[in-house]
Parts: sequence; structure tokens; C-alpha cells
Amino acid sequence: MKHYINILLLLICITANAQTNVIQTIPDIDSTFTSKLTGEYFYENTHYIGEQFFNKDWTEGDILLSNGTMIYKKSLKYNGLRDELIWLNSSNYGKFKLDKSSISEFWLKNISDHDIHFKRINVRDTSLTRQPDIFAEVKVEGKLSLYIQRKVSVIGSENVRTDNTVISYDDLKNSPRYYIKLPTNQYLMLTKLRRRAFLRLFPEDKKAINKIIKDNHLKVKVESDFVKLIELMNQ
Amino acid sequence: MQQLALIYCNVKAENIGSEIAYLQTDRTAYIAGESVFYKLYVLDEVTKKRSELSKVGYIVLRTTNSDVALKFRVSIHAGMANGSLALPDTLTSGVYQIVAFTSAMKNLGDDHFFHKVITVANRFDKALDFKLIQSTLQDTVSSQKNSELKISTDKSIYNCGEKVMVNLGRTNSKANVSVSVFEESKIPSIYKSIVQALNDSSISRNKNQATGYYSPESKGKILRGSVVDAKTKQKIKNAIVLLSCIDTIPNLEYAVTNSNGLFQMLLSDYYNGKELFLTIKNIPVNQNWEIKTEDEFAQSEKWNPSLMPPNGNNKEYIVKSQNLVYINKSYKLEKSVNEKQQTEPRIIVPRFYYCPVITVLPSDFVPLDSFPEIAVEILPQVRLIKEKGKYHVQMVDELSKGYQKNDPAIFLDGVYLDDVNKIIGLGSEQIKKIDLITSERAFGDLVFSGAVSITTRTNEMINSKPVSYSFRVKNDNINSGANLVPDNSPPDKNSPFLRQLLYWNPSLGLNATDDTNFEFYTSDNSAKFIIKVEGISEDGTPISASSAIQVENQINVTDK
Repeated sequence: MKHYINILLLLICITANAQTNVIQTIPDIDSTFTSKLTGEYFYENTHYIGEQFFNKDWTEGDILLSNGTMIYKKSLKYNGLRDELIWLNSSNYGKFKLDKSSISEFWLKNISDHDIHFKRINVRDTSLTRQPDIFAEVKVEGKLSLYIQRKVSVIGSENVRTDNTVISYDDLKNSPRYYIKLPTNQYLMLTKLRRRAFLRLFPEDKKAINKIIKDNHLKVKVESDFVKLIELMNQ
Repeated sequence: MQQLALIYCNVKAENIGSEIAYLQTDRTAYIAGESVFYKLYVLDEVTKKRSELSKVGYIVLRTTNSDVALKFRVSIHAGMANGSLALPDTLTSGVYQIVAFTSAMKNLGDDHFFHKVITVANRFDKALDFKLIQSTLQDTVSSQKNSELKISTDKSIYNCGEKVMVNLGRTNSKANVSVSVFEESKIPSIYKSIVQALNDSSISRNKNQATGYYSPESKGKILRGSVVDAKTKQKIKNAIVLLSCIDTIPNLEYAVTNSNGLFQMLLSDYYNGKELFLTIKNIPVNQNWEIKTEDEFAQSEKWNPSLMPPNGNNKEYIVKSQNLVYINKSYKLEKSVNEKQQTEPRIIVPRFYYCPVITVLPSDFVPLDSFPEIAVEILPQVRLIKEKGKYHVQMVDELSKGYQKNDPAIFLDGVYLDDVNKIIGLGSEQIKKIDLITSERAFGDLVFSGAVSITTRTNEMINSKPVSYSFRVKNDNINSGANLVPDNSPPDKNSPFLRQLLYWNPSLGLNATDDTNFEFYTSDNSAKFIIKVEGISEDGTPISASSAIQVENQINVTDK
């Protein structure tokens, strides 16, 4: 009996409180504090042979904005051809190319059971002219950092006839670029993973690098081995 | 059962962020033109530790009629804020109430705010017929002793211009205190030490019913308001309220009203000290909506102090204070120094866009008298249509090359424009630059059919009158005197040195391992001075102590 009275009193207490509680009537705090994504409408050109996106399907992802705020669970695609992050706005189903300057980093979740981390970096060429920022996948960060730009390039075009009309399709090919960031904040770039080309970037450490490759049975032309090599060089 | 209910209440209190405020001022009696140096503590009501919740505090100075004489916002770091408040020379003599609070404290009602009474006398008030607070107390050595802190000085009687060395000993845990050394006031006051204030808040806590309406300002100031129908006063839900301010960069923030017509926006540091322009997006035709914003300083309860006329002693003290201020002003001895400036946080502009597609400088072309002319002659991407005396702007769609159905976002001097007709009269003489965005643009969940941003040479937006559904409001800056501290340096023997405030340190650290010492100089003002220490330790123990020293003229000392 005492038990029932206790429960009854607790319910009365909660109900009485709910009557004066106006929490439900104020605007949602999360939406107040959430920064807004900005970008322009993305007109998707589908006349391609090959895949222009790094992730073919819309993937859930998080974005770290340049102002330091995080935006979670957005439908995202990374376009390697244009080096742009595309956002599918679930409220109006519009596809928007997000302003690159507003994004610092982003994570594409559960791609082949992994989260892929991208970062906006500024790489300069040898002429020291300012180049636009690029989005690159973060593979290793340390004394030496390795970033991979998941670039897609047009390598040719084909004319395809459909219903008496000829449409030109561009042939696309993945052409990743490997950026190695030195402790001096300089970037070295490799377009192809070749042992000789890589060793040429570090002429003074050639012997030591060769030893690491040999001891760990690494093949520089295999991307995962190359990542491991950079990790071992950092140790 | 009682325990269950208490647990429920406490959980609720934690959810809404229950806080208490305590404000220490350097003195309780001032002459208009002087500065009030203050230290604000914001504490968690349950643990009594410094609150990490609120980052914004509000301080209001009220008259006996409850009119606001001064108000300002302070930036709270780790539950503390300090600064100075310059009392205008023109302030009339009388008692004033200082009210300090945070947004979260509003949930518990005005009586939960911190209140303190100060007396201000105008420098030129010779009649001194104003009334003082009815109290038998004075801001003097507190009878209540705090065992944790002992103030000891190297002497008890000092000569004028002599160095005073003070030892505060050690505390059981790390603590932060504010220290004030001031001439004992003959003016009645209602003074509570931090220990008394915390005890009182614990007693009154259960009387209050929390509403939870005000969310804690843990990331910055929140602008609250509502959208209502001007005629029927009906609350409008799902109205999109846009906010921007004058800048060379088009900027935007927005909020959507809820079912009660309420909206709230987090204002970043970017908006500090700026005039905010609020408007409603896509207001339906023939609707008469209006925006109302809440005054964050507003208080529902009036202040009704009991007053009494000053006696001879009171008047004598005020006249002395007036004379000292007069001498200091005449010799320009009222020195305050700027504390080492903290590094300014990086201010990020909430840009509407980062890079325009097209930028046109009208000065590169022959002068044109109006915007329609400019659009026709040098902006082929823009078309102006006049319908029933009102203009509409249309942009060329990048893809279809036809004109877009919806109007683009139009910015004038960085502000989202509520009425296109405001730019019609602007010609090459006024317009410095026109930026165009020709594609559809997303800003959060909002989509705009391109954008036209006009930057004028003449800052046209400053004089622009808002339309009926727009609102213009000044967002006060954070208290600018925050880095001003009194000059604690040794006296200059070649000029008069007369002070009623000998020392003020808003942030003095105490710890369990070493003694804390500080020193200051007495002035030529022979009087009894009070050393007052108020603060809080890291474990939430309030610290309150006071002591007195006597400053006497050297001749007097020798005579004795």
C-alpha cells in the first residue's frame, strides 16, 4: 500500500511540475547553436564513363567548420573530379557544393567499415604561387604526414549514340596524388607510387628508407604499404 | 518520498543550469565620475563551485524608481568576470541598486539575482538633500569571521605615503579572491559578504519555481524574440527570422519560430557592439507581421528601497569625498592603467558567400543615375521588374540561361535587405561595388535564388528605415572597462596623493602551500581603511575576511 502511495505522490509531483514547465515551448537549443552549412547548388553532370565521386552513394558524415564548430550526420559525397564536398540537404533534397573555405575537415562514415578523414590543405608548387586549397584524405599525421588527394581525371571522351542522338561522355580515371608534408610544412607530391621516385625525394635518407622497406617486406607501389612506410619513417 | 521529490527537483535544477551570482565592488559609496571596480562570481547553486555554464553576465545599475541608469554585459570565464564601470559625471545623487545575473538565473525569478546598494553623490551637488538607504549597517570590518583566512598587516597604524604589507596566509585549497582597501564609509549600506550571500541563497532556493524558459548562455549571448501578427497579436509559427549587420561582407544568421512564435539565436562575438538588422523572409502578401525582441536586461520586479535623510556624519563624508575627487580631477591624478590585454579571440564572420561569381565596379563605366539603369547597362545577369509600383529583382539561371522565378537575396552594405525599393535610387555615385551570385545558394536549410550584394561608398544602410516587419536593435558591446584597473603604484612626492581607494586587486590567487602577500601605499588621506577580501575556493568554500588599518598624518603620530 505504502508503495502505491509513493508512486502516486511521485506522479503528482511530476504532473504538477510539468504544468509550470515551459521547456517544450522554447525553440530547440540544438538548432540555435548549430552552425549553418553554406554552398551553391550542384548541377550534377552525369555524362561520364567512370565514377566522379569518391563515395558513389550518399554517406553519413561529420564536418568540422573553419569556425571550429562540428556539424554531425549530414549526407555527403566527395567529388574527386571537382574536388568538392557535396551535401544532400534532407529538408529540401537539394544537392549543394559546400563552400570549401568554410570547411576545415570532414569524415565520411562507414566506407568499407572505415571512417575516411579528409582535411583541407594548401599545397604550394615549386613556383611558390598560391594554389587553391584541396581536400585530401588524411592517412598519416606526424613528423611526416601523408595526405592523398582522391583526384579523378578526364582521360578522354567517347561519343555514345542513344535514340538517334549523339552524346559525348568523358572517360574518368582515378588519379590520386600523394602529398607528403615535411616538418618544415613543405609538401612533396607524388603522382605515382614508385620506389625510385619516392627515394629521390629523400636522397639523404635513401639507405635508411631502403632498409625499412626491406626489413618490413613493403611494396611502395601498394598504397597500404606506402602508408605503412611513412608510419615507420615517423618512428 | 520527500527524498524522491528532492532528487527530481535537483535533477531538474541541474538541467536548467541553476546558478548564483555574487558581486564584490571596491567600495559602496562613490562620487559621480569615479569608477566602480567590480568582480563577479557566478557559482553553481548546488556545489557552490565556480560555474562553467554561463559565459555571459548582465549588470544593471538601477535608480530608486527602478529606471536603468547603466547596463552592460560581461564576459564570464570560469565563473568569474572583473572590470570597471565608469559612473557618468552627470549621474544624480542618490542610492542605486546594482543587479547582477545570468540568463540561466532568470528561470528562478528576479529575487534570485544578486542585488547590492551603492551610494553615488554628484560632484557638484552642494545641497546634498538626497536620501540614503535606511540601514544601520556600514561597509566596514565584518563581525563575521572566516576561519580559513586571516588578514595580517605589518602594523596597525601607518604614516601617510607609507608602504603597507599584507599577509593573507594560506587556504585549505586553491582559491581566487578579490581584495579592496578603502576608506571606511560613513554612508549606510546593505552589505552581504559572500559567505552570507551563499547562506541566504540556500535558504531561499526552495521557494522558487524554475521555469526553464531561459537556456544558459554557455556559448555566448542568445537573442530571444517572437514574431506576432501586429493586429491580432497572434503568434506566428515557422516564420524565418533573418539577422545581419553592416559590414563589407554580406553576413547572415537565421532562426525559425516555434509553435509559440518564439525564436532564439546565438550571437557570436562578431555581433558585439553592432547594430542588428532583423527581418522576416518571404512574408506572405497582405500579412502584417512584426518582430519583437526581449530585453535581456529587463527585470519584472521593481525596487522599492526604504530611504532616510542623511545626517551630519554622512554629509561630512560625502563632502570630503567630493573634495578629494575635485583635487584629483584638478591635478589629473585619477589614474587607471590598462591591464595587459588578453589576446582577442578570432572573430569569424557568418558569411553568406565566400567568393562572388561576378564583381562589377560601377566606377569602371560611365556614370549611371539609378540601379535600374545600372542593371540594364552593366548587369546583364540581373533584371528588374516593376509590378504595382514595387520592384522585383530576377537573376539569370546559370544552367537554363532563363530568369529564376524567385527573387535573389539582396544585401546592402552587408545587410539582408527587407525592401528592394531601397536600392532603386542608388546610382554609380553611391555604389562602390556589386557582387553577384548567379546560382542557387544554400544557407543552412534555406535556399536563395542567387544573390546581389551592393556595397555603397556612403554607407546607405546606416540611415535606412526598417519596414514594418523588420527590426533594428543595438547589440551592446562587452563592458569596455574590463581591462581597467586602478593605479597601485607608489606615490609621486611632487603631487598631492589623496585616495579613498588604496588598493584593488580583482584576482588574487591563494593556495595551501605558500603564503599570499600583497602591498600598497597609504595616501595623504588620514582615515581608517578597511581591507576586504571576498572569494571562493576551488572546492566551493566561500572566503570572506576583513581587517582595518589606521592612516594618520606623521605630525599627528609624533604628537601621540
